[in-house]
Amino acid sequence: MTRHRRRALLAVVLAVLLGSAFAQDVEIGSRAFDIARNLRCPVCVSESVADSSAQIAQQMRTVIQERIDEGMTDQQIYAYFQASYGDWIMLQPPKRGVHLFVWLLPVLVALTALAVVAVLARRWLAASRTPINASAEELARVRQLLGEGGPAGGQEARPEPESRDS
Amino acid sequence: MKIGRLLIVALALALLAALFGFGLLRGSPDRDIASVLVGKPAPVFDLPLYERYQPEYGASFALADHVGKPMVVNFWASWCLPCYEEAPELQSFWSEYQDKGVLVVGVQTQDKDKRREGRDFIGRFGLTFPNVFDNDSQVSVNWGLYGVPETFFIDAEGNIVGKHVGPVTVEALKTNVEALLR
Repeated sequence: MTRHRRRALLAVVLAVLLGSAFAQDVEIGSRAFDIARNLRCPVCVSESVADSSAQIAQQMRTVIQERIDEGMTDQQIYAYFQASYGDWIMLQPPKRGVHLFVWLLPVLVALTALAVVAVLARRWLAASRTPINASAEELARVRQLLGEGGPAGGQEARPEPESRDS
Repeated sequence: MKIGRLLIVALALALLAALFGFGLLRGSPDRDIASVLVGKPAPVFDLPLYERYQPEYGASFALADHVGKPMVVNFWASWCLPCYEEAPELQSFWSEYQDKGVLVVGVQTQDKDKRREGRDFIGRFGLTFPNVFDNDSQVSVNWGLYGVPETFFIDAEGNIVGKHVGPVTVEALKTNVEALLR
């Protein structure tokens, strides 16, 4: 195959791929696309109406565009699909009724976690500020264990090098 | 104190494990969702009939014209394997119940431009109940379909009273329709 032919073939393949990629949404506007992105494709798994190539999703995109052309608001269009599918059709659950739980749960968890961290941090800070009550004997024992034998007291304890007998 | 904390942690972990197990075993939640249309009037449609039914019903079938008798509306597609499984069941049920005043309607949907395949499907099972063609799947959207096959039961007042997801059997059809005939 000559270089020229290869280029021509590549151009044809690209044209076909681009054509098929844009074919489905070429007739719907950006507002219709935004609405479709918020609706769940009924026959797919975790896919929006905007993303799916299923026939029912294509028809739903057409319906959305038709409703926009008729002058419907976004909310009226969502309500149209909710009438057939219920709230299930919305990819984001509505902020009302039992669905509020889904929205509030992460906030509640985050607030609880913050409260727990705050309480623990306060405890740790309080504990670090509390003076240690120790008797003279106990302090002497600690100093002995740390190897601070001299009268200087504040000297840093250094571990004695281990002697190895062969 | 420590034992109490350990118990709380263990309980929380057990709860999480139970939730995880429940999630794994419950199957596909989407298929369990009941139709919001149950209890509401069936969305009307007026769709072209396949040729073989036209001498009896006319060129198109309008659902509204048949309100007054219990109806079974079955949605199918020529590419849908479970639809092949249930088609003989629907025909068998129709043979037995058409004289009891029950109407079965087949709606080929989510099957754009597949008229020939639709005719083949109908011919293959010798379906004698009326079958219509929903070429643009608009009726699928209006009826809130999640897939095919799905079967709806409509009472004599034209209200949807039940829905069956997946291939339907003669037994399931009889159970639902007998309740409508009482």
